[in-house]
Amino acid sequence: MDWNCTLTEERLSDYLEGKLSPAEAAAFSAHMSSCANCTETVAQVSSFVNQMHKLEMVGEPPQLIAKILDATLGPRTQKESWRQWFGWISVVWQPRFAMGLAAAVASVVIVSYAAGLTPAKLKKADLSPSNVLRSANRQAHLTYARGAKFVNDLRVVYEIQSKLQPEPETMPVSDPAPAPQEEHNSSPPNSTPQQKSQSSPPASRTRVSSGPMFALLLTESVADNLAENSINISTRSAR
Amino acid sequence: MEADAQLVQRCLRGEGLAWEELVRRHTRRVFNLCYRFTGNATEAEDLSQEVFLRIYRTLSSYQPAFGAFPTWLTSVTRNLLVDHYRRTRRDRQTDSLDDSMPQLEEKHSSARAPDKLAEAGELSIQLQRGLARLSPELRESVILRDLQGLEYSEIQAVLQVPEGTVKSRINRGRIELARILTEMGLKPTN
Repeated sequence: MDWNCTLTEERLSDYLEGKLSPAEAAAFSAHMSSCANCTETVAQVSSFVNQMHKLEMVGEPPQLIAKILDATLGPRTQKESWRQWFGWISVVWQPRFAMGLAAAVASVVIVSYAAGLTPAKLKKADLSPSNVLRSANRQAHLTYARGAKFVNDLRVVYEIQSKLQPEPETMPVSDPAPAPQEEHNSSPPNSTPQQKSQSSPPASRTRVSSGPMFALLLTESVADNLAENSINISTRSAR
Repeated sequence: MEADAQLVQRCLRGEGLAWEELVRRHTRRVFNLCYRFTGNATEAEDLSQEVFLRIYRTLSSYQPAFGAFPTWLTSVTRNLLVDHYRRTRRDRQTDSLDDSMPQLEEKHSSARAPDKLAEAGELSIQLQRGLARLSPELRESVILRDLQGLEYSEIQAVLQVPEGTVKSRINRGRIELARILTEMGLKPTN
């Protein structure tokens, strides 16, 4: 094969990349051995190409990626402000705080159950501030009224007890005060067993004659239930 | 690693994290192409931003069937570089290449002996000067092949010229660059 300097230059890359046919490669090498110029050129190109292949990429400026993201996704200070708003979560989300929070939530739930708030019976209207205020107000009044009535009931019980037991030294109540008894003629159902236990002295006479007293308490609790129901009905219809 | 095409799909669904991943994955390649072509780190930075802005806006037009994402990215970069080259032709006559040189990549550098590192840095700078003296056609061909490591078929897709032209440009570019570097006093080593 007739090979010359022009061909050597033209096929140099093919030679370096091993893309010459065996015959071409042989002619290429034969020409190089007789041409110092071509030998030098091939050596130079081969060397610099190898060096370029080994050359690592230059690092991009450190802020470039952030700039690109800012230019495309918009300034990411939003992320920062999000962190400002919700950063406290990580602080609170520690075992100590989490346990404390859980205990607080548990006690709120228990208290609200005790106060008669059950989530299952909760309606949308119950969550409006005016209704919350109204029901809280009602609960407070009911609780106060029950407490007051309980004290009065105790008084009545002691009074009856003292009349049934004529011993002078066991007379605890000197002032009979019948007025509050008429005012608060409502009694919670759970106050009955307490009164029963308090109104059961060991004396056999008392036990026999305690029948009228239970009848009195029974009628009181029935009246109380009726009153409570009527309050419930009136608040429901108010909503 | 998630494929580029999948990331593109996620981007199109509006996932910012997928876009961030694409940017992180390809910024270096785009920046290097711009830097080697312009010889100026600041210009390369601005151009890289421009490239990704354009990619971001035209992402929906990318079709995996037409070629790999990096090839498309390289095409967009190359077209911007050519535009930029035409725009700044007059200013460039007086420009110096000593402007700002970016630092060499830190990766692997600790394993390298200091004199070798200096050597690599020196070569990088000399190469930059040599490339600047090549015509843009030869320059882009050599960069894509020998610095970006693209296949001939990929370069053909990027430059939109026949394969013969690609091969011829790469070959002529290499010989020309070797001549320039030798003139500049760089000695071939092997």
